[in-house]
Amino acid sequence: MNDYAIETKNLTMKYGNETAIRNVGLHVRKGRIYGLLGRNGAGKTTIMKAVLGLIPIASGEVKVFGERIGERKKWIYPRIGAMIEAPGFYPNLTGTENLEIFAKLRGVPTPNAVENALALVGLPYRDKKLFGAYSLGMKQRLGIANAIFHDPELLILDEPTNGLDPIGIAEIRDYLKKLTVESEKTILISSHILSEITLLADDIGIIDRGVLLEEAPLSELTKRDRRYIELRVSDVPKTVLILERDFGLKDYSVQDDCTLHLFDAVEDIGKIHRTLVLENVAVYESRHCSHTLEDYFRNITGGEGVA
Amino acid sequence: MLNLVICEFRKLKRKKFILLVIFSAFLFPVPLTAFMTLPQTIESEAANFNEYFSYVMGYGVELLLPCMLGVIAAMLFFMERDNDTFKNLRVIPVTSTQMVLAKIIVLFLCGIIFSLMSAFAAFLCGSFTARAEITGIFYKLVLAVEMGIFITAGTLPLVVLVVFFSKTYIFSILLCVFYSVLSLTAESSFGALPKLLCWLMPIPLTTLWSAGNMVQHGVRENIEALAYLFPSTAQTVAILSIMAFLSVALIDYLYKKRGNE
Repeated sequence: MNDYAIETKNLTMKYGNETAIRNVGLHVRKGRIYGLLGRNGAGKTTIMKAVLGLIPIASGEVKVFGERIGERKKWIYPRIGAMIEAPGFYPNLTGTENLEIFAKLRGVPTPNAVENALALVGLPYRDKKLFGAYSLGMKQRLGIANAIFHDPELLILDEPTNGLDPIGIAEIRDYLKKLTVESEKTILISSHILSEITLLADDIGIIDRGVLLEEAPLSELTKRDRRYIELRVSDVPKTVLILERDFGLKDYSVQDDCTLHLFDAVEDIGKIHRTLVLENVAVYESRHCSHTLEDYFRNITGGEGVA
Repeated sequence: MLNLVICEFRKLKRKKFILLVIFSAFLFPVPLTAFMTLPQTIESEAANFNEYFSYVMGYGVELLLPCMLGVIAAMLFFMERDNDTFKNLRVIPVTSTQMVLAKIIVLFLCGIIFSLMSAFAAFLCGSFTARAEITGIFYKLVLAVEMGIFITAGTLPLVVLVVFFSKTYIFSILLCVFYSVLSLTAESSFGALPKLLCWLMPIPLTTLWSAGNMVQHGVRENIEALAYLFPSTAQTVAILSIMAFLSVALIDYLYKKRGNE
């Protein structure tokens, strides 16, 4: 049985002669929230469009629920809810009227589906305000309501919290988490905001310039969010010997001939200094450093990172 | 398909132009009523109304309706592009061909409504005029429905152009006006134009059919000179069906293409 709700293999997408996505292998596990993280223009939306079959694939393959998506497959859409880029609705209609149109087109049998979806995103039912007069946040909420009202198994949300106020962001985040915990829905969400993704996602894919640089569970990535001590000493091999022998330290890394990084040794640093000096190892510099997740992203995306 | 058609009508909610379309059905009947009341020799009050009715259908339906339908088509087919709703529609289990067919059905319904409204407007204005007697109401209503269908089918080549150029509403209106004026020019040159050309132009073809049909039912007279040009209902339906089929196929192709862009 396939464990992935979405799986891509060597997915390559082109806009004219320009390659937007290159050999992307995405693995979105069922019942989990997958955060696609990348800067603006990195290719997040293009991947989502490819998964939905909205744009032609140059090469590679996309599988949704284990089935290959080569062309539009009608049967798959009732199982997916999507919001790609800015929400698009009819400005001369109210939010409720807009959703009722899409509910009718989808053939949603649940009588209160629209009302429930609007309640979930905090929008009034049968309000007289037209979509054209909505604020950005309200438009975004309506977009999310449109993606969820038919109770899909898979949600594909492209930067869904854009334009929402902090409370709104927290509400949507809690709701999406609840969906995966209580209803075992799978969610593919994109964002350029690291903090947002780390608060929500179970698995993270980092994309930059159309290339998926890394794909790992959040728990694994957070291991890279560490504090360490950078030591510059006269004799690195002897220092390593002392650290292992006297302090039982194994979590360190040698940077060059005179520099090493000590992880999880912040508490013992006074004793370490004293021992090294007694063993005739000169300590030129010792400083506390931290290697955050953001630094990691900045490094792997070529120095500029994400917001 | 019924759901799709209902949705297309719902999308037009609060669009003032749709109301304008209904009211514009009175545009020609009202001033033409004045001509009915002019002190001139009339054969009979019934003949006076019949002549008035044929003018109303001639100007109102054959001249104005293609313009109205062209603008409504622009609204229907530009709506998804202008509001960025293509992406929402493409992730629902409805094909773009179904969407196109729903929009075409809406056009046909608008055409029939406009045509019937024109007929009602003619009856209304005629009922207030002393020198007119309204006869053959049922026949005239059926004729109005038929003309609404035929004119809409004949306007579909124009809709192809509207969707093909996919420009602004102003450009679409210009196209519609050009189409109507071209048709009117052809209609004023019936005697000079070859029969084939008259029949290949959908609006003039419908005008000829309606003239022939009204002559058959005694509603129009004194146009026997053009009798050789009158197509039968079967011929008219066949020609317009082919045109409509080709137009819908082209519209579908263009609409899909626009959706993929």
